[in-house]
Amino acid sequence: MTDDVMISLENVSKTYRGQKAPAVENVSMTIHRGEIVVLVGPSGCGKTTTMKMINRLIEPSGGRILVDGEDVTALDGTQLRRRIGYVIQQGGLFPHMSVATNIGLVPKMLGWKRGRIEERVDELLHLVGLEPGQYRDRLPRQLSGGQQQRVGVARALAADPPVMLMDEPFGATDPLTRDRLQNEFLRLQEKLQKTIVFVTHDFDEAIKMGTRIAVLGERSRIRQFDTPEQLLAAPADETVGQFIGAGAALKRLNLRRIDSVECGDAELMGVEESPTAVLRRLDSCDADAVLTVDGQRRPLRWVGVRDLGPDQADLRGIGLPVTVVESRATLHDALDQMLTSNCGSVVVVDDDGRYCGVVNIECLMRAISEMREAARERDRGVIEASPGTPAQAVRGRR
Amino acid sequence: MTFPEYLESRRDLLLAQTLEHAYIVLVSVALATVVGVGIGVATYRRRRARAIAVAIAAAILTIPSFALLGLLIAPLGLGYLPALVALSLYALLPIIRNTVVGLTGIDPGLVESARGIGMGRLRSLATVELPLAWPVILTGIRISAQMTVGIAAIAAYVGGPGLGNQIFSGLANLGGVNSLNNALVGTLGVVVLALVLDGCLALLGVLTRPGRAAGSTASGRPRRASGARPPTVSAEPAALVSTTQGGH
Repeated sequence: MTDDVMISLENVSKTYRGQKAPAVENVSMTIHRGEIVVLVGPSGCGKTTTMKMINRLIEPSGGRILVDGEDVTALDGTQLRRRIGYVIQQGGLFPHMSVATNIGLVPKMLGWKRGRIEERVDELLHLVGLEPGQYRDRLPRQLSGGQQQRVGVARALAADPPVMLMDEPFGATDPLTRDRLQNEFLRLQEKLQKTIVFVTHDFDEAIKMGTRIAVLGERSRIRQFDTPEQLLAAPADETVGQFIGAGAALKRLNLRRIDSVECGDAELMGVEESPTAVLRRLDSCDADAVLTVDGQRRPLRWVGVRDLGPDQADLRGIGLPVTVVESRATLHDALDQMLTSNCGSVVVVDDDGRYCGVVNIECLMRAISEMREAARERDRGVIEASPGTPAQAVRGRR
Repeated sequence: MTFPEYLESRRDLLLAQTLEHAYIVLVSVALATVVGVGIGVATYRRRRARAIAVAIAAAILTIPSFALLGLLIAPLGLGYLPALVALSLYALLPIIRNTVVGLTGIDPGLVESARGIGMGRLRSLATVELPLAWPVILTGIRISAQMTVGIAAIAAYVGGPGLGNQIFSGLANLGGVNSLNNALVGTLGVVVLALVLDGCLALLGVLTRPGRAAGSTASGRPRRASGARPPTVSAEPAALVSTTQGGH
């Protein structure tokens, strides 16, 4: 075992009083520093129980749990929980306290000075993308579901705990908000490098969020604990395969972000330029349209020859609207946007909405074949190393 | 003597009796609040314990007030003390009941969230659970206050203070010169006092509504009127009180 291990569960079991069958039976798992481990499984499989034993919201009946080398059962539960971030659905904010009070709760319990707490609250609100001046004094009910969730994350981060537990944190939000919250959270995590245990019943969310995914069966038995790539490419058994569901190939598009594929380029033109300049530019290259951008290089519209009228001074308001995706979005998002857009390609933008490149169906196909190539390489390695692995068995059946 | 003339001539006495009446009600409700919330807090987590607490308080409420006051004469004598004890006992039920209902009605997710971020039992109770249950508890206190104002009139029977003395002297001198005035002023005084007290407690409720301080300073977005009030369970204990009050 190396320093690298942050959380380790050793033969952990939980049997509730008055029940014969254990809710969690003999689970062992190591979680490394800085990774997001997603526990995923059908409802009632004990995944939440397993997670709650880490901060002892639920007392384990057997086995050991080590957090950063310390046996948690030897610590005071209340003190332990102040050192572990905890996020639940809708943030679990206290409705009678302002956003700032909610976020400052843990620092206050740890005895921080008031000034330091206030500073920290503002810093955290910035971090989760809420303007402190505007939101600090609001009550939770004066926030949207997504904003509440952000405050919930800020509260969990308040005392800068190395470990965070998240129990279906984005479960109660609509798909659009959920997607945005997930992206934001991943961006945060890149900076913060927390060790996170994340519980969900949504396999797509697991693929998106997880560094590694533990697919749990009944009594929290680990059916497979692997990276999302391996899980999709080689489900350990039929149950895992069923849980992954149909369209594993399509889901693999969720595993690559747009910034990891080679983007194409568009012909950019400032929106203030004249139509004749566009004609000249289109003549000099083989593109059908130019992409108009504003002063900050933010994409506006696609302008082709047909959009140009004789009496136009500049390019404002003409052409087809562009579909944009963030460079952190997945290939799946890009494909989705592409299929709904007017022109079969999407413009990639950075965090500030500035132009980065263009992705079209050829780029995607190239990326997919690369992935397939890589998976094949890996599988060949696996099969040679240990014949008769589940991976092979599954492939044989197909 | 007409009613207004009677009021004018006994102004000082009536004022003093009204204040005495209000005072004993406030003291007994305050006492019942401390004891009732204490019992509620001690029992709400255990189903059996809270059922027993509520049942005992309900049983006390069914004892006719004349009987209870009379029974208390033996150990406590006449005067202020038996009145105070009897009123406090009567005031217990709505407060215990609403404390239990208020505390058990809190979203379990919030209680767990409090535990999850490292609050101990007491801290969670003081900073999360009691503040959230407060509107419901206050409703219980209001019901108790209303009820006690009425029962306090009967406390004059054991030599207690207050407007009850007017009513009893009216009844004693039935057909006498001021008997009607006596009874009328006592009864009306009790009704007016009950209304005024309730108004004060309602105001207290508005002033202490959870999250009020933060909400009033928040700018930008108008407060949603419908969302501003936490759910109360006032209807249930109110109904319960009205059915048992016939015993007095």
